[in-house]
Amino acid sequence: MISWFGLVLANLGRNRLRTALTFGAVALAVMLVVFLLTMPAGLDALLNSIASNTRISVHNKAGIVYSMPYSYARKVRQVEGVAAAVGMTWFGGAYEEEGRVTFPNFAVEAEYVGAVYPDYGIPKEQLEDFRRYRDGAIVGRQTMRKYNWKIGDRITLKSNLWPVALDLRIVGEIPQERAPMLWLQRAYLDEALLAARGRGLEIVGIVWARVEDPERVDQVMQAIDDLFRNSEAETASETEKSFFGNFFGSLKGFVTVILVVTALVALCIVVIAANTASMAVRERHGEIAVLKAIGFSRRRIFAALLAESTLLCTSAGLTGVALAYGFAQALRSFAGWSPALGPLGSFLVTPGVALRGVLLALAVGFISGLLPAWGAARKPVAQSLHEVF
Amino acid sequence: MLPLSYSLKNLWARPLRSAMTALVIALVVVATSLFLGLISSLKRTLVGTGHPQNLVVMRKGSDNDGASALPQEAYQAIRFLDGIARNAADQPLVSPELVVQPFFRTLDGGRENVLVRGVEPIALEVHDQVQIVEGRMFRPSAAETIVGRAVAGRYRGTTLGSELEFGRGRWKVVGIFTAAGSSFESEVWVDVRELANDAKRPLPYSGIRLRAATEGDLVALQERIENDPRFALQAQRETDYYAKQSESANSLYVLVVAIALFSGIGAGFGAANTMYAAVQSRIAEIGTLRAIGFSRASILFSFQLEALLLAIAGFAVGSLIAVLFAASLGSWLKGIAFGAATFTTNVVTLEVRASDLLVALLLALGIGLSSGFGPAFRAARMRPMEALRRG
Repeated sequence: MISWFGLVLANLGRNRLRTALTFGAVALAVMLVVFLLTMPAGLDALLNSIASNTRISVHNKAGIVYSMPYSYARKVRQVEGVAAAVGMTWFGGAYEEEGRVTFPNFAVEAEYVGAVYPDYGIPKEQLEDFRRYRDGAIVGRQTMRKYNWKIGDRITLKSNLWPVALDLRIVGEIPQERAPMLWLQRAYLDEALLAARGRGLEIVGIVWARVEDPERVDQVMQAIDDLFRNSEAETASETEKSFFGNFFGSLKGFVTVILVVTALVALCIVVIAANTASMAVRERHGEIAVLKAIGFSRRRIFAALLAESTLLCTSAGLTGVALAYGFAQALRSFAGWSPALGPLGSFLVTPGVALRGVLLALAVGFISGLLPAWGAARKPVAQSLHEVF
Repeated sequence: MLPLSYSLKNLWARPLRSAMTALVIALVVVATSLFLGLISSLKRTLVGTGHPQNLVVMRKGSDNDGASALPQEAYQAIRFLDGIARNAADQPLVSPELVVQPFFRTLDGGRENVLVRGVEPIALEVHDQVQIVEGRMFRPSAAETIVGRAVAGRYRGTTLGSELEFGRGRWKVVGIFTAAGSSFESEVWVDVRELANDAKRPLPYSGIRLRAATEGDLVALQERIENDPRFALQAQRETDYYAKQSESANSLYVLVVAIALFSGIGAGFGAANTMYAAVQSRIAEIGTLRAIGFSRASILFSFQLEALLLAIAGFAVGSLIAVLFAASLGSWLKGIAFGAATFTTNVVTLEVRASDLLVALLLALGIGLSSGFGPAFRAARMRPMEALRRG
């Protein structure tokens, strides 16, 4: 006697072409859904993993392109509750391509940066090297990968904002998948500017400060903003999470369109799978009636039909996730940091996104099989047999 | 040859299955044209900005005017060069400009970097795309501002007559301008000297825009400015400058291709399923048709036509949905913002145009053709006697 699972498999093998076409359609659509979901997921992951709630950004109230006097970095460090603070200034360095900034790069104070970003996991020796070598640079893993750089490599960045080009030596890596930024020494830029235009850097773009006690973050931010009230550059402090949330807030509309398109594609899969399931059941009316006549219970038949569509869609879904992974990998290696996409362009198939893809396929298989299977199982045997013979 | 009505009636014979297949194609059409529409709207906004006879003068090595700075002397030197167009009052059409990108508060509490352009009144003649449609031009040194159409109403205090807060000061909105859908509409314009004071810029200008009298003058001016040893400057045709800005949108086309290709092939597989089932259930009919003298070619053609009709029906429904959807999504989101690498926000009106729909039509026809061919070929290959017996 044929086993129940054998029946499910045999049913799938009955019309191989149809099974293959449905499998292909569902796999491709799941792949697309997973791929599209990596974009908003990349944004969420960035906000949740890299950005912290105890690191705060202090910048000019008027905007991040408005600078602050460099002395602010020192003053922030003296505020009670601030464990560490580093001044960061946009360098605007272009690598190879004239005038085009392909990854964000900043001049930072080498002696303070490590203490502000302990969560990044930069090895101690690399931070020490960064301090020791005036021309040292620490680079995010995403950019290291994009340009195939290794520690020890020498590169030149030509600024489109400051009248200098700096030769840098890579001394460390920020071991975070999504980190695109490059840090170079503020002192080095300062020196180069002094030589080029007779004045040093003098200003700072953003001061990043880490607060030890999460309870005191609001209080510290208030103290900092109070300190600079009615000065030449009033500040606005906010947590890193809120900073990036605001910074990428302008992507919201674009993300909405992506989600709408994703939903449309998901709907496509439902319709394709439902169509297939209904065709499969309709063709087999006679056969199902015979199974019932020889003693298969309704429940068993219902379960077999439902299992058929669920199995088909889920296995296609798994294939789709694997395809999406490969596609994202390929795209990342040749596209890298896309300025138009920003954090949406990290194309990382995280476990969460992959799980959503598989669950979608599972749900589609189940839902699309439900109605036809129920209809077939419910139909009285005599009526089915009558229709067929 | 089998008549068109035969294919049509066949589709009607299984209305639910045909409708589902057409729906899949319609969804693919909506997804593709919506996304394509978004990107072409972005490109249109950027590429349509500027005048072909205008030059953008910036410091050498700057890729956008936000990153550039020029001394007063450079402006004075350029202003009196030969070959620059003049207005009715015989003033040269040279517009010194300062660009900063302060925070603006959106109505829902977020913030975006908006491009604020400090200009002199002559700017309206150099940028003749810009038309004040409500209110009037700002008066210099009166803390007044005019805002682009895409900015008006999107941020706090950007409606006509209200107080707008940005930078260090407060500004009164006295006018709203359009600029033929170009990216100027995402800008805010104020008096250049007031802006330089507010932003505490050591150098008063970030760039100069000027109108050449003729095409020949433009080339000559470009050469002259770039070779001036006193200032390290670069001069670029204004339309080229914005076209270059739009290049960053090109990487988005990878996404469109991915969406069109993968969803298209998926839908093609689904449609092929339907068509194979249609052939399967009509074996006897095909046998009969062959027996009474219809040729293989006419059977092939008829089934192929059936698949194409499905695709066209899907496209018709899909394109209608896409256009309506884009319009409602566009007004719901109040324009879609694109943050650029240059720290500015371009507000784009989502619009699905005929050219986007044409791509979707080609995709739908491709789906119809490729999904119909296999089943049609199978139908045409059947031997009449065998088909009659099996059916």
